[in-house]
Formats: sequence, structure tokens, C-alpha cells
Amino acid sequence: MANINAMAKIVDDAARAGKAIPQLSAKHDYTLEEAYAVQSAAFRRRLARGEKQAGMKMGFTSRAKMVQMGLEDLVWGRLSDEMLVEDGDEITFDKYVHPRAEPELAFLLKKPLEGPVTAAEALAAVEAIAPAIEIIDSRYKNFKFSLEDVVADNSSSSGFVLGAWNKPDIDISNLGMLLEVNGRPVQIGSSAAILGHPVRSLAHAARLATQAGESLEAGWVVMAGGATAAHALSPGDYVRNMVEELGFVGFSVSS
Amino acid sequence: MAKKPAKPDPIKTAATRIRRAAASGKPCKPIRDLIKKGDLDAAYAIQQANTDIWIKEGRRPVGRKVGLTAKSVQAQLGVDQPDFGILYADMEVVDSDEVDPSRLMQPKVEGEIALVLDDDLVDDQLTLVDLIDSVAYALPAIEIVGSRIANWDITILDTIADNASSGLYVLGTRPVGLHEIDLRMCGMVMENKGDQVSIGAGAACLGNPLNAALWLARKMVDVGMPLLAGDTIMTGALGPMAPVNPGDVIEVRISGLGSVRAVFGQ
Repeated sequence: MANINAMAKIVDDAARAGKAIPQLSAKHDYTLEEAYAVQSAAFRRRLARGEKQAGMKMGFTSRAKMVQMGLEDLVWGRLSDEMLVEDGDEITFDKYVHPRAEPELAFLLKKPLEGPVTAAEALAAVEAIAPAIEIIDSRYKNFKFSLEDVVADNSSSSGFVLGAWNKPDIDISNLGMLLEVNGRPVQIGSSAAILGHPVRSLAHAARLATQAGESLEAGWVVMAGGATAAHALSPGDYVRNMVEELGFVGFSVSS
Repeated sequence: MAKKPAKPDPIKTAATRIRRAAASGKPCKPIRDLIKKGDLDAAYAIQQANTDIWIKEGRRPVGRKVGLTAKSVQAQLGVDQPDFGILYADMEVVDSDEVDPSRLMQPKVEGEIALVLDDDLVDDQLTLVDLIDSVAYALPAIEIVGSRIANWDITILDTIADNASSGLYVLGTRPVGLHEIDLRMCGMVMENKGDQVSIGAGAACLGNPLNAALWLARKMVDVGMPLLAGDTIMTGALGPMAPVNPGDVIEVRISGLGSVRAVFGQ
């Protein structure tokens, strides 16, 4: 029997300290279900410190991402208000282990969503859509992990940056997306890479949250998942995600 | 004393090798061994030798293609510039039509933007504004590239000599003016029977398809065959090249431009 709370403390401490840890699977034999229990327990430690849940993130939603990670399952993680990086702000490099940036879209919900839902029902719950960047940072050494390890580690979520909110009446099925570092494109893609249409990611988020006995709440942000492979950050980087029609969002990394 | 036999002209030898491969459908050896390493001028001279012959034979040139417009592909071939080839009328496939496999040599597909000119670009020192003023409209396009060189064993010299590895091209049918589309940001998705096989955006083509077209327009003035009104420009891939096989159905959708399809016959 896996020791959920002990593993939750390990990943939570690693996230707080920005220190790399060995893969949990090296010492613990645990299932995917138990991995989500670890994630949940680790997130409860955040809530106990006064953080508030701000939403949910989806992972492995693009083929490029799955290939990069050598995985095939959709995963999810939890966002807290503490993880929000204001548009244009600077992050402190040393607080992370080996941070990477992913160009994404974010949904703001105007009403709760419980799964399973259709894409139409998911879209009807959307108040606004923003260009977004997720700062992912696996706490595991060398960014190497099993599926259970990444899920236990909140699916590598560590920060999210949101640009200006747009009304959801834009066709978001094939928006060009450009991740730029210091003015040069480092990843080029389209929102089509997010499960063929990003709203499908939101529908999956509702289904997965409901399976876990939770639901998506009004006012929450759902990060739809990376449209391209993630880009490793370096000190001094100025990072921007430009999205066709939606605008842009950016942050810088301390030098 | 007997006269030494005239040394065969390597440009002619290379051009003949490629032309025969194109005519027979049987790929040939690379031509890089026939010219000096890094001699791009010689490679273009080989291309030009075939252009002259093909035009004499009655092929109708209708524009140009720009190749090597992705930074990653340039790095692969060890160059820091794009290349160009000639588009001929017989390379056109109409939207949704079946592509006869006998017209293909080692095909691969790319999603692109085609620009059609309604003005000549003949001046020295052409600017971006000259180009924008001369573009009548843009169309979504599929380029079906091919290689006369066996197994795509190409260097920059081989591909330039081989008309920039051109094959066939398919154009969408709804013209869109440049004021209606964001050429840098437009998303591109290519599907094969509904499965995504290539994803990208306008910026993947030298930062902006207009940058590729401007490079081409200037190059064409330099080499004395400027772009003219009515010419079609295939500006370069917006995402990675994808393999294609008999029976495949390729669709390219470009945000703001619509879509275009090619059906590959068995």
C-alpha cells in the first residue's frame, strides 16, 4: 500500500524549495489512481497554507507533447492562486528546478461544469478566452518520470500567466501560436494541436474532475494544454506567447 | 597526334541525369559529385539548363517556388538562405482532384500559402511595399514535393539542381486579399484522412511568407528573370513536411484562407 501522505510531502516540499528529487517510482510502487491521490493530498497542503484553488490544467493534449514525453495519456493538475504570474511580471529563476514554458490558451468559466459534457456544453460555460503561458517544472531530476510520477507532481504545473480576456465568440480551432524568447520564435504551432480543438480539452477537464469527485467551478481558469513542445527557460529570457486574434501574454525570467 | 576527346560539360551531364530521371520516373544518383562543393551557382546553372530545355519542349512556366524556408531545414542542409525552383503549368492539380501516382516521384506534402501577382517586380532594390502592392491575392496551397535523386539523398546542390525538389501543387480556390489575413500569425493544420500530420503557422516560413516572397523577388531580379504579373509564388512550408502514400487524403486548412485538398490515387 502506497503511503500517500508521505509521497505528497515529498513532492510538495520539492515544489516549495525548487529542489530536484529522485522519481517517486524508484522507491514506491503505486498506481495511477494512487498518483492522483498523492496530487490531491499535496494540493491540500497548499490549501492548508492559505492558497486557494484557481482552476485546473490539462497536460499531454498535443501530439508534439506526447512524443516529447513518450506518453499517450491525457493528464491533469490543479492550479492555485499562488501559482498565477501576472502578465508582464518577472519570475525568479532560482525558485524553480528546471522551468519550461508552453504556449497555451486559457478558459475562464462563468458557470460550474460537471462531466461528462459535450463540446457545446463546455463552450456554453465559457466566459472568456485568453492567450496563456504555462510554466511547467517537473520536480524530478532531469525532467524524467513515469506517468504516475508526473501525475503525483501536479502534472508538472508550477505557474500560469494569463493575457487579456477575449469574448468566446472567436473561432479558436486553428489560431496560429508563436512562443517567442527574446523576440525570436522558438516554437511555432496552432491551437489545432490541442486535441484538434481546444474546447475538447475543456470537456475532458470537466469529465476528469467529475471522475475525481470534484467539479469545475465558476470563476476558475482551465489551462487547455500546450500547443507545441515546451521550451526550456534560461535566466534573462523574455518570453511571449502570441496568439492569432487573441493577442499576447509574456513574462521575464530573472537573470 | 590524336586530338584529346572534349571533356564532358559537368553542368550538361548533371542536367541530363536529372531530366532523364524525371522523364523515366526512375530516381538517379546525386549530382553533387559533378560540381565543386558549395558551388551554388553551378547548381543553379544545372537547373537553368533544364529550364531552357523544358521551355523549348513546350512546358509553360507559371511562377516559382521558394524552398528551404524553415530555419530547421536550412540548418539540416547547412545553408543560411532559401532556394527557388520553377513552377510549370503541368505541375498543377486542381482542388480535390485525384493525383495520378505516375506523376509523383518520392512525394511528400507541405502546407503553404501561394501568392499571385498582378504586377511585375522588375526594379532594382525592391521593397516590401513593392511586393505588397503587387500581390493580387493569396490562396491556401498544398505543395507535393518530390525528388529525382534516389532516397532523397540530397545536399543543397542536389536540390537546387533538381528544380528545388518540386513536384506538383494544389491551390485553394477562394482568393483572399492581403488586408484580410495575418500572414505571420495564421495557423496551419494539415490532416491525412482526419489525422493531424503537420501543424504550424505563417511565421514558420522565414518569419513571414512575405519575407520568403521578397527574397525571391530580389533574387529573380538579380538573375535576370524577374517575377511578372500573373506569376504564382509558392512561398514555403508553414509546418513540417509529411510523408504521403497512395490512398491518402491530404487537407490543409489555413486560418483566414480556407482549405485545399489532394486525393492520392492508388
